[in-house]
Amino acid sequence: MNCPFHSLLQSRQTQKNNQTEKTEQNHDSIVEERRNLLKGLGAFGGAVALGSAVSTQALAGSEGMMEGNMKADEGSVDAEFYTSRQMKQPFYGAYQSGILNPPPAAACLVSFDVIAYNKDDLKGLFKTLTERAAFLTQGGKPPSTGDKFPPLDSGIVGTYINPDNLTLTVALGASLFDERFGLADKKPKHLVNMTRFPNDALQAESCHGDLLIQFCANSPETVIHAMRDIIKHTPATLSVRWRRDGFISNHVAATAGKETPINLLGFKDGTVNPNTKDPKVADEVILVTPENQEPKWATGGSYLAVRTIRFFVEQWDRTPLQEQEAIFGRERGTGAPLGMKHEHDIPDYSKDPKGKIIPLDAHMRLANPRTPGFNQHQLLRRAYNYSDGVTNAGQLEMGLLFLAYQADLKAGFITVQERLNGEPLEEYIKPFGGGYFFALPGVKKPGDYFAQGLLES
Amino acid sequence: MSASSTLFKNVWRKPTLLAVTTGSLLASCSAFASDVPQYHVEVNDKKCQPMALTVPAGKVQFIIRNQSMRALEWEILDGVMVVAERENIIPGFQQKMTVTLEPGTYEMTCGLLTNPHGKLIVQSDGQNKPYKITSNDFIGPIAEYKFYVMNETRQLTQATQAFTDAIRANEMDKAKALYSQARVHYERIEPIAELFSDLDNRIDAREDAFAMGAKDPNFTGFHRLEYALWKANSLANTTALADQLDKDVMELQGRIRNLPFPPSTVVGGAAGLIEEVAASKLSGEEDRYAHTDLDDFNANVEGAQKIVYLFKPMMDKINPPLQNRIENNLKQVSDILAHYKTDKGFEPYTQLSEQDRKRLKGPITELAEDLAKLRGNLGLN
Repeated sequence: MNCPFHSLLQSRQTQKNNQTEKTEQNHDSIVEERRNLLKGLGAFGGAVALGSAVSTQALAGSEGMMEGNMKADEGSVDAEFYTSRQMKQPFYGAYQSGILNPPPAAACLVSFDVIAYNKDDLKGLFKTLTERAAFLTQGGKPPSTGDKFPPLDSGIVGTYINPDNLTLTVALGASLFDERFGLADKKPKHLVNMTRFPNDALQAESCHGDLLIQFCANSPETVIHAMRDIIKHTPATLSVRWRRDGFISNHVAATAGKETPINLLGFKDGTVNPNTKDPKVADEVILVTPENQEPKWATGGSYLAVRTIRFFVEQWDRTPLQEQEAIFGRERGTGAPLGMKHEHDIPDYSKDPKGKIIPLDAHMRLANPRTPGFNQHQLLRRAYNYSDGVTNAGQLEMGLLFLAYQADLKAGFITVQERLNGEPLEEYIKPFGGGYFFALPGVKKPGDYFAQGLLES
Repeated sequence: MSASSTLFKNVWRKPTLLAVTTGSLLASCSAFASDVPQYHVEVNDKKCQPMALTVPAGKVQFIIRNQSMRALEWEILDGVMVVAERENIIPGFQQKMTVTLEPGTYEMTCGLLTNPHGKLIVQSDGQNKPYKITSNDFIGPIAEYKFYVMNETRQLTQATQAFTDAIRANEMDKAKALYSQARVHYERIEPIAELFSDLDNRIDAREDAFAMGAKDPNFTGFHRLEYALWKANSLANTTALADQLDKDVMELQGRIRNLPFPPSTVVGGAAGLIEEVAASKLSGEEDRYAHTDLDDFNANVEGAQKIVYLFKPMMDKINPPLQNRIENNLKQVSDILAHYKTDKGFEPYTQLSEQDRKRLKGPITELAEDLAKLRGNLGLN
């Protein structure tokens, strides 16, 4: 059977049938049943009828769930719910969490060199990552080893580890597919080392990596806790290459995707993201499906373009508002396209062919000309701000961790970035790091492990 | 003599008088607002009546009646310069002329050129009359700036050629001496030169721009040759780099020749130059092998000064406190840099004292803040 989800579909069908049979039972027990279903299978509750190839998590998983308080199919979430410590994202599923769910407030990107000697060690690494991520994202009590030994847990989130909306999203760089592990012929077809765009100043020490983990959670402590846990558990197989911490507003994060995060240039970032709640959209532009003609193991994965971009904020803050807005093509305050009222208004460029309202080289207009057929170039942006120390010249070192997920890296980020080359915004930004990665498909069920399809195919 | 004082002399101009005759040029003003003061002048065969007139600064209207025997041309003169004129007023008729005048003493013609001129005194009334900028005001400064840029570009091509000749002749010491002398011409016009990012990348990119740093094959231009001269200490395999640099600056010259100079780009350039200083010259990152950063630093400041003084006549009317602060800060920076002046340029960046580095930071940062407001003050986008 070709369909990689055949068995899962079957099990879902069975579950669904069971559920249908129980419609005579009282409401509470159905809720109980569905909750168990979601807990056990993570993503696979209830979405079969949509016939989506991959993103069946979208309905239940995109907003996650809270122990004993299943709200996933209510369509909206309140701030208290989304930002609570008990908030959790499913670990098991066809695709990884940390892609379609709304970005929580804190993030960290860590890129590693894989220092495992052989494929068996590599397999061991992925099993460890699976085991740690499954535990950390769902929460629990860390084991004690007594006071004669170093504690197994850093303790920075207390004695009980709450899920805190944590996700660990594991992605692979092109270099993992070199000769070391014999994976060369299984490389996703668009995965390459990121090369320089004209305005880039890529620093070798901030670029690429064999394996990247995107940690996201409601609080920075949870992110750091998970990162230290992973590093502590992988001493012989992973070596940190570079890392960056990121944040978005707590308040924006609490709206679970309703409000768009504001970047450190003061503009909303991610307004025209594809609708992650629509499984059809997710399959079309974000997640790899069989249609993408990638290696079979890659179905459910997603290309991740990472760009660490410094903003020259002092200079930007000295730029007339009119120019700032012309550079982006949007009003700063409302986020509305110039000449329009609301953030999500859609500009009609055919009525402004000379760029008198929205300049032809405005960031928004170059990035998405809104022409028919341009949908295939959509990206899911999931950017975070970063803020570090100061430069040698005493200027602020801050900017954006640009993260974009897409089913086709070439049609997605690379096409869009090539359109942006030479844009006026370049005067104020300097991309210096990042890389192209491939976010693995999800771990489908307990007992499976990350990259299993890749390593066992 | 410091380079900056030369510049002050060159760019200093007596404020040009702003005079606009009624009609189409003044489309943006309501030319006949009722509160424009009116003055009657009669011209007969011998003289004006009255022969002396005192009017307030700003917009005034003259009603000129020709009581002479011949058609009249009536002019307001500032020395030999015609500030405003009304031609061909038929005998027995009168015409109106609305004009905006700066405070000062002018002359009025009174019929025949042999007739004595009348005196027109324009008094400042103490109030700050709003000064209206017109696009005409920019024509002079922009033309002069384009001339400046073309001149610097020509010197850039010549000085670069001298530098690359030394490289090709494998004359290390000579090339080292000529390096910053070529660069200053680029640094003075950086906001214009940087408009061509492909050329800027090839001519002036630093090793940070490349993943493999100094060893990167795409690393070319001045800083690559700087690396060869001071860091690698060898001119092996640099001939192609030298040839390419010549070609690139020649191409830059060609492109600038055909470049329109919109006022907002030119005025914004002053801020851009100081942003350059704030971001990479203060830290000594620009010429990290040669340590000639202060030459570049000074050239950036000179480029900014040039722009500031071109628009000084306008800014003096629009926002004198801002203009004064900008000039004071430019002077502070020049004064500190002057301590490091040598015969051929400046001391190495490594000689810059920590105290002076900090003392430069204040005026430079305030300049960046203030120059960022120039465009807004001049009513530019």
